[in-house]
Amino acid sequence: MKLNYCRTRQNVMRARRLVIRATTAAGSGHPGGSFSMGEIMGCLFNGHLRFDAGNPQWEDRDRLVLSKGHAAPGLFSNLAVAGYIDESELDTLRSLGSRLQGHPDLKCPGVEFCGGSLGIGLSFSIGVALAARLDGRDYHVYTIIGDGESNEGQIWEAAMTASKYNMDNITAILDRNFIQQDSYTEEVMPLDRRMEGDTPAEMWSDPSRWRTAEKWRSFGWNVIEIDGHRIEQIDAALKTARATKQVPTIIIARTIKGKSVEHMEDNPAWHGKAANPEMIPVIHEEIGAQFAIAPSIIAGDMGDLEGEVSRCAEGRADMIHMDVMDGKFVPNRTFDHVKLKQLRSVTEIPFDTHLMIADPVRHVRDYVEAGSDIVTVHAEECDRSSFGEIHDYLRENQVGVGIAVNPDTDMPSWSHGFIPTLDQVIIMSVIPGRSGQKYIESIHQKTAGIVSLLREHKFAGVVEADGGVNLENIGACFDDGARAFVGGSAIVGRDDVRAAIRGFRDAVIDARRKMLLSKAFEAGGAGLVSRWTSLHDIGAKGEKLAGMARESGYV
Amino acid sequence: MSNTADMRTAYGRTLTDIGRTNPDVVVLGADTTSSLKTAGFGKEFPDRFFNVGIAEANMVSVAAGLAISGKIPFASTYAIFLPGRAVDQIRNSIAYPTRGGRRGLNVKMVVSHGGLSVGADGGSHQQIEDIAIMRAIPNMRVLIPADAVAAEGLTRIMAAEYGPCYMRMARSPTPVVHPESAQFGGMSATLREGSDCTIIACGITVSMAMEAARILKADGIDASVIDMFSIKPIDTEVLEKAARSTGHIVTCEEHNIIGGMGSAVAETVSGAYPVPVSRIGVSDMFGESARDNQIQMLLEKHGITAINIANRAREIRKSR
Repeated sequence: MKLNYCRTRQNVMRARRLVIRATTAAGSGHPGGSFSMGEIMGCLFNGHLRFDAGNPQWEDRDRLVLSKGHAAPGLFSNLAVAGYIDESELDTLRSLGSRLQGHPDLKCPGVEFCGGSLGIGLSFSIGVALAARLDGRDYHVYTIIGDGESNEGQIWEAAMTASKYNMDNITAILDRNFIQQDSYTEEVMPLDRRMEGDTPAEMWSDPSRWRTAEKWRSFGWNVIEIDGHRIEQIDAALKTARATKQVPTIIIARTIKGKSVEHMEDNPAWHGKAANPEMIPVIHEEIGAQFAIAPSIIAGDMGDLEGEVSRCAEGRADMIHMDVMDGKFVPNRTFDHVKLKQLRSVTEIPFDTHLMIADPVRHVRDYVEAGSDIVTVHAEECDRSSFGEIHDYLRENQVGVGIAVNPDTDMPSWSHGFIPTLDQVIIMSVIPGRSGQKYIESIHQKTAGIVSLLREHKFAGVVEADGGVNLENIGACFDDGARAFVGGSAIVGRDDVRAAIRGFRDAVIDARRKMLLSKAFEAGGAGLVSRWTSLHDIGAKGEKLAGMARESGYV
Repeated sequence: MSNTADMRTAYGRTLTDIGRTNPDVVVLGADTTSSLKTAGFGKEFPDRFFNVGIAEANMVSVAAGLAISGKIPFASTYAIFLPGRAVDQIRNSIAYPTRGGRRGLNVKMVVSHGGLSVGADGGSHQQIEDIAIMRAIPNMRVLIPADAVAAEGLTRIMAAEYGPCYMRMARSPTPVVHPESAQFGGMSATLREGSDCTIIACGITVSMAMEAARILKADGIDASVIDMFSIKPIDTEVLEKAARSTGHIVTCEEHNIIGGMGSAVAETVSGAYPVPVSRIGVSDMFGESARDNQIQMLLEKHGITAINIANRAREIRKSR
C-alpha cells in the first residue's frame, strides 16, 4: 500500500492535537514520548499497518505492540484518527470507567498489548509472531520500544530470541528520543555513550559516538537508522523491514521528545506531565503551524538535475519542488515525467510536482507513475470536470492533490467544492515560467484572502508560497498563512544549500514564535505571554521569546 | 508404603499426549526442558516447542503473545525462577490482559522443584513463597498435585479450561495417593472421611496427612484427609463442611507459613464457619541444603512430618 504523504502529515498533526486534548483533560499522562513517535505512528496507520477499524479482531490484521506503554495517548489518538474510537472518547483518558486507561489496555479496541511495565512488549511480540508462523498467517508485528526502556534486560533476552527464531515477521522500532524519566538517556544509562556535556545535542552531532545500531547488529538483527520525524524515511524503512527475510529488523528512529511543541522539545520535564489548560489555544496553534521548505531545482544547473536533487537532499529539504513546464502553458520548457522518474531514484524526499503545463488531465497519470507525492495543477488549465477527474485519480493513487493559481487568478468558484479534500494550494507570487523573479508585493494580501476563503471551506491542507520567496519576505508569507515555501534562487542558487534551508527554517520559526506570542496575548494577556515564554526553559529559546514579547509590547 | 512415581514424568508424557490431539498446545522451556520432561514434546513437535534459554521473564512474555493469538502455551521451569523471578511479567502480560469475558491470557505455568524438598540445591532454590505470590494475583488459578496421577489429571484440565494457571510440582518422586481413576474436575479430593478432625494438605504433604490419619486412628481419633489440590479457587463448600463436622482443622504444606495453603484455608474458614485452624509450614525462614537421604530430616526440622501433624491434631483437640 502506498503511503499518502499529505494525508499522513495531516493525521500526525490531528493525532498530536488529540494527545494534548486527552492529557490536559486527564491532568496527567505522557505527551513527550507520544510526540516523539508521532510520525512513526502516522506512517504505521497511514500506509503500513493492515487493519480494519470496524473489525478490530480481524485475524489477518497486523499487530501493533506499544511496548513503551506510557506513550498511550499517542496510541489512543491514532486509534481515534483511524476510526477505532470516537475522538471525544479521548476526553475520558485515565478516568474511572474509561476504556482509555493510563497505559494501553485490551479494554480499548485496537490495542493488542497491555503495556506499562517496560521491557515486555518485544517478548510478547515474538509470541504473537510465532503464532502467526504456526498458523501460516502472513500478518506482521510492529513493536515500538523506547530507549529508556532499553535499560531493561528483557529487551535483550527478546533480541536474542527473535534472532534465534529468524523472526522476519517482526519489525521493532526504537523511538530514540534520548530522554527518560529522570534525565537524558546518555546520563542515566547510556545506550550509545556517556554524555560529556549537559545537552543531548552532542549526541546527534557526532555519529561516531552512536553504538545502539552495533548492539542490535551484534544480536543478529537487520538495523536501519533513520530520522524518526521524516515521513519518507520511516516509510522507506518500514518497506525494507517488511521485505527483509530470515532476520528480524529494528528501525532506530532518532527523534525529539515533545516534537512539534517547542517548549516540550528535548525537555525532560515533559516526559510525563500534562499541559496547563490555559496553554491549550497556543499549543493547538503551534501544532497546526508545521511547515515545509521545498527548494525548486530549476533554479540550479539544468544540465545536472540529479546533482541539484542531491544538493537539496543533503541540505535536508522537506520536499523537493519540481517545476514542470511544457512550453505551452508557459513559454519555457524544463523537464517532463521521464526526467522526474530518473530523479526519483536519487532520493526518498517527497516530490512536490507543480505542473505548469497545458491540459494537465491528459498527463497527470505520467507524473503519478513517475513517483510524485503531490501533484499540483493550474486552475487556469482546468474546469470542474477535468479537475474532478484529476482529483479522484490522485486520491485513488494516494498522491496529494494541489491547485495552483497565477498572480492574476483567483480561486475559481468551481474549485470551492474541492477545498475540503485539497492537500495543497499554490499561490504564485511571480509570473510562472522562469526562475529568479521578484516577489509581487500584492500577493501578501491576496494570500491572506485565499487563506480565509479556504478556512471557510474547511481546508485541511497547506498553502504554498511560490515565487521570489527569500529570507526578507518569508516571515510575511508565513503571516499570510503559507505553510510551505518554495525556494528557488534563494536556496538552490546558493553554494551552501543546507545553510540556506536552515536560514529559511529559522526565519519561519521566528515568524511562528511571533504568531504564538500574539495568540497567547489574545488568549490571556501579558500574564499568559510571560507564563508561556517561561515554559521555554531549555537552551536560549526562552530568552529569545522574552525579547520578542517585549519588542511587540505584550509585556 | 505405597509405590512412588515422578510428577514431572507424568506431566511430560501427558503434554505430548495432549499435543497429539490438540494442535494449539505449544510448550516453552528455559534451559530446563530435560529436567521438566518437556523435551519429549519437543522431539515429537519441534515446531511447537520453544526453548528460550535462561530467560524466564522472556519465556512467560513470549507465552503471553502465543496465548493472545489462540495458542495454549505451557511454560515450564523450576519454581524458584518463575514466580520468584518473573512476577511482573506474569502479572502484567498474563494475568492482567482481559478482553470480553476472558480474564487473563490462557498461559499454563507449570513448575517443578517447589518447596523445601528440592533438597541439595539449598535455600536459594527452595521456593517457599510461590503459593502466596501466585494466589495474590487476580485471575490466576493455583494448583498443586499430590502425585503423578494428579499431575496428569490437572495437566489435562488446564489444557481444556481457559485461563491463566500455575501448577507446582515437587522435585522428587512422591507416593501415589490417588487411584488411577481419580478425577480432578473439582477443587479438592477427600481421601479419607473421619468425624474427629480434618487434616488438609497439598503436594508432598498429602501422603504425610494420610500417615498421620493412620497414627491418629491407633489413638482412636478418626481424621478426615483432604487433598487441597486447588489452592485457588479454593473449595469453600468442602472447607465449611469440614469445619462444621470436625470442629477444627490442621493444615500442612512445604511453603512459608505466611500466605500459603494454610493461610488460604484459614481465610476461608474464618468467613464460612470459624473454627481453630492449626497451620504447619516453614516458620518464616529460609531452607538449606539437604542431600536426597536427608530431605526427610530437613522437613522434620521445619515440623513437616506425619508425626507432627498427628501431634497438632491431638493438641488442638485437647485445647478445646
